[in-house]
This record gives sequence, structure tokens and C-alpha cells, in this order.
Amino acid sequence: MNADNDHKVIIAEGVTKEYSDNGLPVMALRGIDLTIEQGEFAAIVGPSGSGKTTFLNVVSGLDSITEGSVRLDGKLLSTMSGRELSDYRRDRIGFIFQAYNLIPVLTVEENVEYIMLLQGIDKKERHRRVRDLLAQLGLDGMADRLPSRLSGGQQQRVAVARAIVSRPALVLADEPTANLDSKTALDLIDMMRRLNEESGVTFVFSTHDSMIMARARRLIVLKDGRIDRDEAQA
Amino acid sequence: MRLYMKLAWRNIFRNKRRTFIAGSAIGIGLASLIFVDAIVLGMEENMIHSATASFLGEGQIHRDGFRTTFDVESTIIGSEKVTAKLEAQPVVEYFAPRLLSFAMISSPANVSGVTIVGIDPDREREISQIDEAVIEGTYLDTNSARSIVIGDKLADLMEVELGDRVVLTASHAHGGELSQEMFRVSGIFHMAVDGMDKGMVFISLGKAQQMLNLAGEVHEIALKFNNAEIGHNEQASFWTTYSTDGNEAVGWATLMPQMKAALDFGQFSTLIVGLILFAVVSLGIINTLFMSLYERMFEFGVMRAVGTQPFAMGRLIVFEAGALAAVSCVLGIILGLVVTYVFTRIGIDYTGIEYVGVTFRELLYPVMQLKQYVLYPVAVFLLTMVVGLYPASYAARMNAAKAMRRSF
Repeated sequence: MNADNDHKVIIAEGVTKEYSDNGLPVMALRGIDLTIEQGEFAAIVGPSGSGKTTFLNVVSGLDSITEGSVRLDGKLLSTMSGRELSDYRRDRIGFIFQAYNLIPVLTVEENVEYIMLLQGIDKKERHRRVRDLLAQLGLDGMADRLPSRLSGGQQQRVAVARAIVSRPALVLADEPTANLDSKTALDLIDMMRRLNEESGVTFVFSTHDSMIMARARRLIVLKDGRIDRDEAQA
Repeated sequence: MRLYMKLAWRNIFRNKRRTFIAGSAIGIGLASLIFVDAIVLGMEENMIHSATASFLGEGQIHRDGFRTTFDVESTIIGSEKVTAKLEAQPVVEYFAPRLLSFAMISSPANVSGVTIVGIDPDREREISQIDEAVIEGTYLDTNSARSIVIGDKLADLMEVELGDRVVLTASHAHGGELSQEMFRVSGIFHMAVDGMDKGMVFISLGKAQQMLNLAGEVHEIALKFNNAEIGHNEQASFWTTYSTDGNEAVGWATLMPQMKAALDFGQFSTLIVGLILFAVVSLGIINTLFMSLYERMFEFGVMRAVGTQPFAMGRLIVFEAGALAAVSCVLGIILGLVVTYVFTRIGIDYTGIEYVGVTFRELLYPVMQLKQYVLYPVAVFLLTMVVGLYPASYAARMNAAKAMRRSF
């Protein structure tokens, strides 16, 4: 395990999130206390509506919290401006969503280098990193393809490539295997785990698939917006 | 910047049908504006030509005050000197001296008030279209002092035909004694302008000078320039050069203020049409951009999530508006060019229609100008970008988490 116990990537304390759904108040998170250490490979699990996606959104600064605090790399999110948050996500967090991750009008290569373009990395370096990563993820020869010409599994692998190409400290994946068949889903999780082991990138992903849960080293079970269980796995 | 331009360009072709429909709407709007402007310019040229070439001339010289008093004694001061100066004036292509006076015309059947116009037939031929408007008989003969050319409506009123005799009665200048002269109708004209066809008669300049006791004098000198712009430009130095010694020289716009007002109104109408078209087109653009934006909420959410700045999101939408505008402008320019060109070849028939005292005598041909194909498309392009700011600001303010939630 690559976790560095001295470096806490996420520190969530008493995180509460309430939002309105068609005028009705919904308590999505109820006082979550959670710490994620660097290099972890953690799964957040729970049934639909348990708060998995909301938790990932608030710890990444995509959504605000109602109460409590979230620190990323020691920085308190509530003190960061919108621009700082955008820059922070760009430089420090990789995202993988369950579907529609990619920009349909950009090729595989353009999608993967998108964040590096935002970072202002020069063309040569971008090209090198993209080619290396595509090869590493088994996407050789697909650089010029549009996402619509890839299978679901291939699209998610491209999403993984985009998430890690800028070498973030943390990758947040919201049900990345939800739209994949079992074999492809396991392949994807194994690939993410390999990247975690080889490069030390912290992965936090949500799932409700028991096979995927088994691959995680830490299992955080959410129920009705609260942490029901938090346990390490072999 | 290039990334967002590339993204915008590709995005607008994601839904080709919608882009084509929206682009066509904007393009048709632009083509309409180009065509309307070409017609207004054509009408302007046609009206100016009809008014100036039929009788008025592109400008005139009179004694100060003559245009309001029509006083028979108010002849041009130093007319011989003025005409000599005009002969040497390079910008003047032709000029024609005239003598004008109210008079009474009588035939065995009737009596009517008319305006006598004494003309030099050869010079007048170069300035006006009286000769071309003769529908019976012949134009004035310089050598025949007793010939008179009258309008067809006056001929009907007086119940005279070619060769019939009529008598003109007018007051002498300097004394006011009555002078009567008999003429034979040598020609009948039809100018399609009531005021002329009913109330104007043409006799030779020499005879008119004799009849009005104004030997060597003229009331009016009609002008035609090498460069028609001088007639349009009331600030041209020509007018001040000849507005001296108690005379005044003015262009057609001063002589026919009602036509100038009508032309100004035509330009104002183009502006109104343009504004209405732009307003309609703007709503179409906003609708198209919002439809496109709502369809891609999740995608925008993802883009925000991975670190795209709000300003960049807005810029993408403005670029998409620009890309749509570029496609639309190409469509509009092609359509406008084709439609306008076709009508510049076949013309539009307004002949015989009188408007603000001017009768269209020729087919109306739209006038194509470079500005229609540069200025208007640029205006449409910029307007589309400006209109795109509204959906752009919406995209910039979008909350990534909400955007992704809303798309399911």
C-alpha cells in the first residue's frame, strides 16, 4: 500500500449537506467525519440516495456544504474562491463519472490533453504524456478516434487517462463502472488499482457493485447520509 | 483560445439540422437586409435620375428669391457672365438656360393658366427629357419661333391637336403690359407628371425673351455635372462659387426637399427593417444557443468539474454564437448576392408610378454595394456574438454539481 499516513488528502469534519428538491428539503449528508490519506484506494458504497455522489461533489468543491468543513491537501475549501477551486480541481483532482465523461467533439487524444491545455503545458510534453498513457491503458491506435467510435469500456479508460494525465493527488470516480458489463468493470477497477499501486495516486470511488467493492482496500459504507461502516480490506 | 474556437466550431455541427435551420433564419434575415438596402439604393438612384434627368437638372442657378416669388423680373444677374463661366467650368457637362413665367393659354374651346418655359431646344435636349416625352408631333425647332410644345392633358383640356393655334398671354417685365402671341402646336408630350402635363408649355427661348420683354435675360440655368455627386452634395464648393452677386446655385436636394425627405425616410426604413430583423434573429440565436446548452448540461458540468474556468465556459458559448454567425453570414451573403444579382439583371417595374412628385420612368434596378456584403455581415456577426453573451453568462454561472444533476 502506498498510503502516506502523514499526508491527509481529504479531511471532512461534520459535513452536512441539505438541498431542495422540487421545493422539498433533502438532507443528503448528515455530519460526515472522514479522512482520506494519500495513496488510498477507497470505495464509498451504499444504496441509491445514500449520499455517495453528494459526498464526492462536496469534497471536490463542486457543491457547497451546509455545515462542517472540508480540507483538501490541508486547504479549507470554504475559504477558496470559485477561481481557486477551479484551478485546484484542474491541478490536483482527477474526475471520472459514470457516463458522458468525454467531450464528444474532441478526439481521444484531445480529450486526454484537455486539462493539460488548461494548465498551459507545452504541446510536445502533452503529446508525450498522452501517447504514453494511452499505450499504458491499452488504447494504442485510438488517439484520433471520436468517443462515439469507442466502446463503453474504452470510453471509461479514456476518462481514466484524462483523470490522471495531469498527475493529480486525488482521483474521484463517481460510479465509474455503472454502465459497464461485469468483466469490463473489473478490468477498469483493476487498471485503476494498478495505477494506484504504481504511481501512488489516491483513488476514491463510489459504487454499489459488490464485485467492485471487493477490490477496494478501504470500504466506507454510507447509509442515509451517514457513515454506517468504515473498514479496511485486504 | 484556439481550443475553444475548435470546440465551438465542432459543437455547432453536432446538430446539423438545428444549425442549418438557425443559420438559414439568420442568413435569410441578412439576405433580406442586403436586398432591401439594394432596392432602396436603386429606388434612390432611380428617383434622383427620374427627377433630375426629366426636367429639373442636377442643380439650378437663379436670382436670389426667384424660387419663392417667381417674379418675372427676377432674372439671373449677369446671366451672360454666368453662362460664360459655366462654359469654362470642367465639372459642368451641360447647362440649359430657361425663361419662366406664368401665363394664360387660350384656344377656341378653353382657357387655362400655365407656366411658359422658354428653352434653347438643343441645350435642353442634353439636360431634360422633354424631347423623349413627345408622343405626337415633334420637339421644338430652334428656327421656328411660333412652335409650342404642350402636355397631353393640357391638349385635351384645350381641345387642340397638332397644328392647331393657341394664344399665350403674359405680362411684360418692367411695366406689366400684357403681351399676346399666337403659336401653333408642334408637339404634345407626356411626362407622366400631372403638373407638367397639365400646366407647362415650351416655346423657344428667343421668343419667350421677346414676349416677356427680357432680351438676353434668363430666370434659370439647369445644370448637369460630370460627377453626379456634386448634385447630391449640398456642401460642394460649386454652389458657393455660383451663389454670388445676388444669385443662388442649389442642388436637386434643395430644389426638391420632399424627395430628399423621402430618400432619407427610405434609409430610415432600411434601418427599421434591419432592427426588426436583428431583433427576430437575436431571439432565434438565443433560443438555439439555450437549446444546445440545455442538451449538454452534463458535459458542461464535467468541463467545470475538471477545472474549466467560468469565463472560459462563457467564452465557449460566445464562440459558438460566432461560429453560427459565420455560417449564417456565408449563407446570407450567397443568398443576398444571388437574389440581388437576379433583380439587377431583370429589374423591377415601377414605371408610371408617381411618388413625392417624381414619376418612375425606368425599371428599378437594385444597386449592389460592397458595404452590403461587408458591413451588414460584420454587423450580424458582432450582434450574434453580443446576443450570445446572455446564454454565455448562464453557462459561466452554472454550478457543476447542479448541471450534472439536472441532466438526468
